Amino acid sequence: MPASFVEEIRSAALARYESEPIPNWRRSGFWTTSLRGLDLDALEPRRYEPIAGREDLPEVARDAIGEQERAGLIVQRGASTIASVLDPALAEQGVIVCSLEQAVEEHPELVEPYFMKRLSYEEGKFSAATAAFWTGGAFVYVPDGVVVADPIQVLYLIDEPGTVQYAHTLVVIGENAEAYVREACVATDFEGQALHAGAFEMYCAAGSNARLSHYQDWGSGEVHDISVKRVEIGRDALCKWVPIHLGGHLTKQQLDIITAEQGSDMRHSGLYFTQGTEHLDLFTTDRKEQANTTGDTVWKGALTGASRASYEGLIEIIPGATNSHTYLQTHSMLLSPKAKADAIPSLIVEVDNVSASHGGTVGEIDEELVFYMMTRGVARQEAVRILVEGYFEEVVQRLGDPQLEELCRRRISEKILAAKDTVAEFIAQR
Amino acid sequence: MSLEIQNLHVRTEDREILHGVDLTVSKGETHALMGPNGSGKSMLANTIMGNPNYEVTEGKILLDGEDLTGAAPDERARAGLFLAFQYPATVPGVSVANFLRMAVNAGREEPIKVKEFGAMLGENMDLLKIDRAFTKRYLNEGFSGGEKKRAEILQMAMLKPAIAVLDETDSGLDIDALRIVSDGVNAMRGPEMGSLIITHYTRILNYVKPDFVHILLDGRIVREGGSELADELEEKGYEFIREEVAANAG
Repeated sequence: MPASFVEEIRSAALARYESEPIPNWRRSGFWTTSLRGLDLDALEPRRYEPIAGREDLPEVARDAIGEQERAGLIVQRGASTIASVLDPALAEQGVIVCSLEQAVEEHPELVEPYFMKRLSYEEGKFSAATAAFWTGGAFVYVPDGVVVADPIQVLYLIDEPGTVQYAHTLVVIGENAEAYVREACVATDFEGQALHAGAFEMYCAAGSNARLSHYQDWGSGEVHDISVKRVEIGRDALCKWVPIHLGGHLTKQQLDIITAEQGSDMRHSGLYFTQGTEHLDLFTTDRKEQANTTGDTVWKGALTGASRASYEGLIEIIPGATNSHTYLQTHSMLLSPKAKADAIPSLIVEVDNVSASHGGTVGEIDEELVFYMMTRGVARQEAVRILVEGYFEEVVQRLGDPQLEELCRRRISEKILAAKDTVAEFIAQR
Repeated sequence: MSLEIQNLHVRTEDREILHGVDLTVSKGETHALMGPNGSGKSMLANTIMGNPNYEVTEGKILLDGEDLTGAAPDERARAGLFLAFQYPATVPGVSVANFLRMAVNAGREEPIKVKEFGAMLGENMDLLKIDRAFTKRYLNEGFSGGEKKRAEILQMAMLKPAIAVLDETDSGLDIDALRIVSDGVNAMRGPEMGSLIITHYTRILNYVKPDFVHILLDGRIVREGGSELADELEEKGYEFIREEVAANAG
């Protein structure tokens, strides 16, 4: 019998889901994110059997997980948890890595205080859907004072069209604990539609030191991703968060990081690369709730083909968060005449004695730099590739994870090469 | 092998700046091109390298008889031309070592072996008194003026061009840096390289003695001679030359 706190939320969320229309997100200017093209009724949650080992996973999933030994791993394919692994030495120290379903059954006392603490099923139709329909899910719990050196991994996989995946990851990092959590969302290249509606919540207790990466590569199928990811950082704790968006048919994500208590600190560095007709709508919040909190946010993107990307980054400093210091910068680089980007930094500051600054640019590749590279014998296409890779390097290196860094570099390089015709066309026009 | 510039007319969007420049630099020779600000020196350097901001309306640029007037900058580089920039660009995210490897490989069929590259790099860094840690930094990011110029000369040493153009490499250098850069250039002097040193001042020419000196004024070469011409210029200044040219024209 599942714990009642989960069931109560499920039924309330279901009512909410049924009462809400499919949303259309509109903002000033040209920007609209619409799900008109998605045939939601045709999608279904698919069930799968557990796998024996990583060799049973498709390449895109194996690449994301990497080869080396890991502290723990949860893999969800469609609606089912198909792998659940935890280093026994860590289990002995009280670390938990399992599906959220299992955690609700076996550790309700650990799940209940955090489950949906910072998420709400009232944030829209898909937040309600995820809260009502999630299956599998992931639960990561690192007890007070425990240090986990290797990454704990959560992977969501979609490899068949017609799939809907409702995902929910809950991560709890105890007081003075240290851990690195990687979540990957990947799909194979298929023809047809799919939906990933995700909820991610992470709580970093006092004095903890957490690293978090999100790696998203939805492949060439029509995968729609509508997700909310939220991180809360406690007193004197630090979280470094690096989301990587390497494509998806339509992505609408809200990524919020909350420095919730005195002295909490965050680094949020993200990148995206869109191609073809991909549509990416990102909204991030840097929310400061108490005094003496700090942070910085850097987002960089590049666009090829006829893709669209919008990044809006909000700094929100509420009353009481005096002596907080933060800044946000975002850059988007257009590599195609048909691509469109916007970068909108904004500020809501409701208290004095803080420093908050922000800046946003949308630009093209610097012709002076291309000329410089070419005078060294490097051909134009190659020069552009190197410059775009170099542009992303600042964010890639913030991963601090050699395997994932290499994967990002390789994928970025492949995407630039794949887009070389539109890049050449763009250059020729100038 | 020589670089031949024949009757070169070049314009920006607004107006013509070079009004018919003739200049030949052969391997083994060191030329100095001198002129006051605005005379068109940097434009000539950039045009030799194919900067798309400048339009050649008349005349030719030949290397070893091959017409490069319309060639892309990378073709010119692979043909053997090099430009050390007055204001080198900053290349974020690309380390000096990676940049050099790429540039070296651009001119080769087979990529250079790691060991060979390392040896060549070490040797040239010693020559230019550059610290090893330098190669890990992103090219020109946060570099001082002197470091940027040394990085340019390091690239020149690694690429071994047939003809190198040095655009105001001396500007912004203190005396020690100037000596190091000059030593580097002198070490590369020889039958395998010709160079065109573009400068406003005669300072660098005290360290790198030119075989030929050309004076560019208002987009034309108005005087040519040996290294003694630089001494004359040092003594009398550009105004004197300008007056002399005006008198001859009158």
